[in-house]
Amino acid sequence: MDGLSEVLLVVLLGLSLLMANSSRVIHCIRLVAFQGILVGLLPLAQWDWSSGFPGFGLLALVIVSVCVKGITLPLLLYRAMRMTNVECEFKPLVGYSASMAVALLVIGFSFAISSGIVPLSDASSFSVPVSISTMLLGLFLVISRRKALIQALGFLAFENGISIFGIGMSLQYSWIIELGVLLVIFALVFMMGFAVCQISREFSHTDIYRLNLLVDWDRNGKGVEKDEEVA
Amino acid sequence: MVPWLVVLVPTLAGLASYLLRRRRWVLTALLLFTALFHSAATLCLVLRPGVRCEGSTWLGVDDIGVWVLAVTSILFFFVSFHTAMWLPEEERYAREHGEELLPAHVFLPCMELFLGTMSLIVLSRNLALMWLAIEATTLVSAPLILFRRSKASLEAMWKYLLICSVGVGLAMFGTLLVAMSARGTGCDGLGFAELLLCSEGLEPGWFLAAFIFILVGYGTKMGLAPFHTWLPDTLAEAPGVVSALLSGALLNCSFLGIIRFWQIAPQSIRPFCDKLLIALGLLSLLTALFFIVGQVDFKRMLAYASVGHMGFIAILWGLGQHDASFMHMFGYALMIMTLFLVAGNIVFVYRTRSVSRFGGMFDRLPRHSVLWIVALLLLNGAPPSPLLTFVTEYILVRSSSLWLGIAVLILLFGVFAGMMRIGLKMCMGPAGEVDVSTEHARTTERLCGIPVLATILAICGGILFILLMSRGEL
Repeated sequence: MDGLSEVLLVVLLGLSLLMANSSRVIHCIRLVAFQGILVGLLPLAQWDWSSGFPGFGLLALVIVSVCVKGITLPLLLYRAMRMTNVECEFKPLVGYSASMAVALLVIGFSFAISSGIVPLSDASSFSVPVSISTMLLGLFLVISRRKALIQALGFLAFENGISIFGIGMSLQYSWIIELGVLLVIFALVFMMGFAVCQISREFSHTDIYRLNLLVDWDRNGKGVEKDEEVA
Repeated sequence: MVPWLVVLVPTLAGLASYLLRRRRWVLTALLLFTALFHSAATLCLVLRPGVRCEGSTWLGVDDIGVWVLAVTSILFFFVSFHTAMWLPEEERYAREHGEELLPAHVFLPCMELFLGTMSLIVLSRNLALMWLAIEATTLVSAPLILFRRSKASLEAMWKYLLICSVGVGLAMFGTLLVAMSARGTGCDGLGFAELLLCSEGLEPGWFLAAFIFILVGYGTKMGLAPFHTWLPDTLAEAPGVVSALLSGALLNCSFLGIIRFWQIAPQSIRPFCDKLLIALGLLSLLTALFFIVGQVDFKRMLAYASVGHMGFIAILWGLGQHDASFMHMFGYALMIMTLFLVAGNIVFVYRTRSVSRFGGMFDRLPRHSVLWIVALLLLNGAPPSPLLTFVTEYILVRSSSLWLGIAVLILLFGVFAGMMRIGLKMCMGPAGEVDVSTEHARTTERLCGIPVLATILAICGGILFILLMSRGEL
């Protein structure tokens, strides 16, 4: 199934590219959901079917992974989007044309640094560059977007990139750990969704770059600005 | 069995606290029971090496782990008793003034779960499990930051969640790279004991990349500069007891994460790993100095002191002074806990953290003022007192090269001067612009018992370390 896994990896790369260029939050959520489903299915695409069916552990992991990353978390973030009324990122820190250029550069960079890495016998040659690209583009979304919800989506894409690396390189650790990782990521993104809703309620916006109550320097000569907050 | 209990009992106590939310006294009793049980179990692990399960696949503890666990346990013991006294006062004040706080049935279970996850970091014998535990600490400690439910605490929680999650995510990537580096050795998983056995067979290139990601990832959680940006906001906004646990226990546990990878590093790349630790340590000290001098918020000042001390511990480790780094960990943890507990009480009375509004604290809070100054002196290792940090500073200067010793001394002196300027400004002189009621101040003065005990313990520890040094055992 090498061909299928490579097709999946190429599609994953395309999804990351689209996400970097998408201004609508709902599109980003759909793209992350699709990415989550593909990442969940990747172990099955890499499975050597000539050796028989995969075991119960792997199947359970695939099902849980698809359910968590592909369905539950995007639904949670969709709910957060509805609650906060955030539909578009109008003025990102890096504009969309520049984001596209950065995304292409990141992909090129990922392939360049991965060219020196000799793929292992059972690993697809695409897995390293695709995973690095997905991680870096996830991080790019975190740092270049103003809306808290898109930052949470960027974090999810970043985690997907790490998963692609682990699966692509066939690095297997106990299924208990894998399920634990999924549970922790689920809880973290759930917490982020909760925090986004709280931020929207308290500040009437979710623009992270306008959250600047916490400062080191005395800007107005009247002490720290958030004394009222402490009280 | 004991290592499993050390993790499971706080976790179950946390869940039970949440379920038994209607009975307030049960919540406090469970918190104190958890602290006592954890301390007893840790003592058992310290005194009886036979029950440590060091070779276990999942949970066990070695000499290094037992030290960090002991520090965590002592801290939680002090903090839980302080919480039992402080929280009712804080809740009473909030009721009287119409403030909204995080409910006790969320706050106390999160503290117990926080202890459980920190214990899991220390006791895990699998690097992926350790990663899981470190990520889980972010999860259970984030609600604690939101205790006051203010805008600023919400901002701090968001930064904590996002920065630490991304940082620890990078550490996960580093952990996977370690698995890559072990592929030729026959080591099949991420078991610490297995990797330790085949450490010389690990592929150096992959491992070096892994160590850099680990240093960035766990360094973020540990508060090493330049990845420390969440720390000042979080420690300033969290209530004193939470800041004490975050700075005194969590940062040390995160450093243990880095130590675990250092332990399995092939000998050929260890010098490079040491240099990285020293470089980041120096940068952390420099950052601490830069932000402490001219700081306007005394809790942020303590947070930057934490950054500096973490850097100091990293430098000690990088120089091969492992015992001194553990000594420093112990001393730092006790003193920063004391300072954050005292700072929490001061904020409780004055309702501000702004240094410019302070003055004449000796008149209003005499016990807290003395404790504040003594603890600041102890944290900065001012001679000639038998201070823990003074001992480790002496060891560092003695063991390092001349330029490094001079640089560290200058930076430490700057940090010391900056902190004492703020500390003295708060305590001495005429009263500041904030007026406090005498009754409220008197009530708060009663909350200084635990910080006093911690200070006495720290001084005793310092004398013990000096005795050990004089006998040549350190």
